[in-house]
Amino acid sequence: MEKILNQEKLREWVDMLDDCEVYAPAFADSVWNFARIEAGTDIDLSHTNTIGSVKEFVFPQREVFFRFEKKDGVPVLTPTLPDPKPTVVFGVRPCDGRGMPRNDTVFNKEFVDPYYWARRDKLTLIGLACNLPHSPNCFCQSVGGSPHSEDGLDVLMTDLGDRFHVKGITVKGVEAMERGRDAFDAVRDGDQAEVEKVHDTSRSFPQRPLGNLDAIPEAIRENFDSPLWADMAQHCIGCGICTFLCPTCHCFDINDEVISPTTGEGERVRTWDNCQFPDFTMHTSGHNPRADLGSRLRQRVSHKFLYFVENHKTQQCTGCGRCITECPVGIDIVAVLERVSQ
Amino acid sequence: MSNPSKVTKAEDDTQGRASVAGARKPGATFEPRIVAFLCKWCSSAGSDLAGVSRIQYSANATPITIPCSGSVSPMYILSAFNKGADGVLISGCHPGDCHYMEGNYLARRKLYLVKELLQFIGLESERFRMSWVSAAEGAKFAEVVDEFVEDLRVLGPQNRLKAKR
Amino acid sequence: MVNVEEIRDYAANLLKKGEVKSVLGFRRGSASAFAEPCTITDVGEATSLVWDPTCLNNLTLYLVKDRKQQAAAKNPDNRPVGIVAKGCDSRAIGVLLQENYFKREDVVVIGVSCEGTGVVDPRKLSAKLKGRTASRVTFGGADGINVSVYGDETETVIPAREILADRCLECRAAVPALNDVVFGEAVGAREFDEPFHAAKEAESLSADERWATWEHHFDRCLRCFACRAVCPMCYCPECVVDSTTFVVTLGTSAEEKANRIRWCERSANTSESAVYHLTRTIHLAGRCIDCGECERVCPVNIPLRLLNTKLEKEAFEMFEYQAGHDIEQASLLSSFRDEDPNSFIR
Repeated sequence: MEKILNQEKLREWVDMLDDCEVYAPAFADSVWNFARIEAGTDIDLSHTNTIGSVKEFVFPQREVFFRFEKKDGVPVLTPTLPDPKPTVVFGVRPCDGRGMPRNDTVFNKEFVDPYYWARRDKLTLIGLACNLPHSPNCFCQSVGGSPHSEDGLDVLMTDLGDRFHVKGITVKGVEAMERGRDAFDAVRDGDQAEVEKVHDTSRSFPQRPLGNLDAIPEAIRENFDSPLWADMAQHCIGCGICTFLCPTCHCFDINDEVISPTTGEGERVRTWDNCQFPDFTMHTSGHNPRADLGSRLRQRVSHKFLYFVENHKTQQCTGCGRCITECPVGIDIVAVLERVSQ
Repeated sequence: MSNPSKVTKAEDDTQGRASVAGARKPGATFEPRIVAFLCKWCSSAGSDLAGVSRIQYSANATPITIPCSGSVSPMYILSAFNKGADGVLISGCHPGDCHYMEGNYLARRKLYLVKELLQFIGLESERFRMSWVSAAEGAKFAEVVDEFVEDLRVLGPQNRLKAKR
Repeated sequence: MVNVEEIRDYAANLLKKGEVKSVLGFRRGSASAFAEPCTITDVGEATSLVWDPTCLNNLTLYLVKDRKQQAAAKNPDNRPVGIVAKGCDSRAIGVLLQENYFKREDVVVIGVSCEGTGVVDPRKLSAKLKGRTASRVTFGGADGINVSVYGDETETVIPAREILADRCLECRAAVPALNDVVFGEAVGAREFDEPFHAAKEAESLSADERWATWEHHFDRCLRCFACRAVCPMCYCPECVVDSTTFVVTLGTSAEEKANRIRWCERSANTSESAVYHLTRTIHLAGRCIDCGECERVCPVNIPLRLLNTKLEKEAFEMFEYQAGHDIEQASLLSSFRDEDPNSFIR
């Protein structure tokens, strides 16, 4: 389904999704991030990219698996499977959209994660094509994507200045569009050509090159023991910015949060974890196989461009550039891959 | 002063939970729970004196005996608030009386900063209190606790730093 | 104006004479318009050093990292390290010397005067550009700072007042007092803002308003720990929020695991993040020299500097203590005076 939506009708469409939780980018605290939209408020789609990625909607930073307590000396477990309202997210950039099928693979392959899917099944992603690369660190095209990729999105919107071209891609996406029926106009002659022109222009902007993607896994494998990693991680501070903001990083930790040792009451929770932290690979013996930052950088890059390719035949990176732009010390995954490939 | 709806909500929330001990009967008026860190050389003995002197005072404070007020880590205070304490009391020896010469002076400086910081982020200033109570001041100890309980009753339950699970 | 060639020559000379094993400085990076840290060990690399208002980092962190690495190394290399340091950075070195983290002879401080300007605040820049990325940031003389925006190569001049980091606007000691050499003129600070003015402003709000602010910010914290990782004073081998030394053996019971001390949980909740940030603030009391790194690196822009400056304000006003100004003095929390505030105690 393809439609035209005038800029001023955007709010009308959002209002008609009133039984859903609607999220859209908002500029607050000097940063773009997804925020809950109340009915009757305007949404601003002039955003660059949000600081947090859409993975937060399906893989929240804290997920309660179940509650536990001791009753008459017997442990009692209470399930806490989430049952969210249908959620619609506006303004998803295509790089984040492409992250989704990758996350779906991870949470579906060997084990179907009910917590992930309870949220995923209720989620509709309304993408917005990037007419301009929003950062010099964008490299979606270098990892097989594009500024108007439909992969992982339910709807793709293209900004045509005074109006949006809106394309329903999945059943969920078409349903969301049908809900806002009156807000849309039919596609007229020339609209299609205009969309194509905008898309062509968006692809013509220079992006950070990665060279031959197929050669990267071998290059990483060959350099496993290379001193390059320690050198490139020399100024790494070991924080979690690169992985927490990544649309595809999905490592987690599971903890029991005990509220009261006397009643044995508490929750088992899943929280984000990440390969840059010292306790990520810490063994119970006290030995840490990845004790230095070089090996942790290698792990992050290898997971995305070697192991994931081996397991799932695609890169676990969609070129959003967040890890480069937000790194406090300028560690640049594109430059890292360039050096490893040399 | 306190918002009644807030009080009711918080009381429901704490029914049957006893991560910090304290008198709490369903339907009763709000009984604040205080965690009191008491120096073993003075205030702890002072609280004992209040007890053996049969001074009537509020039973809302859970005493934790510590070697010196100077040994109180700010973590203890943050942790008590995190686990649901409505108030935290630190009590040590009067200036000049420290068993370790200067522990209470160090505590005074450190805890002044903790107090300022807690106030700065918006915790009600009455929730954190410090007192000098010697082993001979059983009556003063009772008074300190009674006053604290009264002030906390007005404020209602502490929900700002308490873990919400 | 600081002549960057002089810094390069000085660094090259230190390396040539073998007085240092490496020099910590800034170079242009591929990731952004801001300079990135570098460690040069060859004389030839000295030409890559830069100096401008995009040299944000406090490189003192890498002196700490080097100490840790040498302590763990089989054959430690304990030769001195050279470091390019702004006024604030040199005070960080001062605190580390005061705490005996290393010795004065272990470090060669290549001081650089900010000459009454300072460094750009990426958050303010982002607010100006509404999230768009700057592709070039340079000094624009007295008028301010030149900024080009990615995708739109016209250059605009933004007044320094609007874009410099808050700490630079409040700075009263822009020339590194602790140094082996200083480049640039000893121009006094700009004195745009009163020291501690943001903390004073926040104090004037009601407790409810202050809590609303901090609840909002603690709730947004991702617990990426970048603030801790970037702080040169956060050098504890084990942080209270990590549990890398709780050893679990076959004999460890479920009770022992459940009851082990965890000051705060991994969950990024308001309450747990509050414990983390407040602990960090208290631990930095009298040690924070206001380099603003914690606030700069925060990906969600939590105003962390405000917490630290609040305590530095108290230290200054109540205890006449300024971190990093006198390496011989006893630290704030290991000293006291009879006239310390007492009236808050019953």
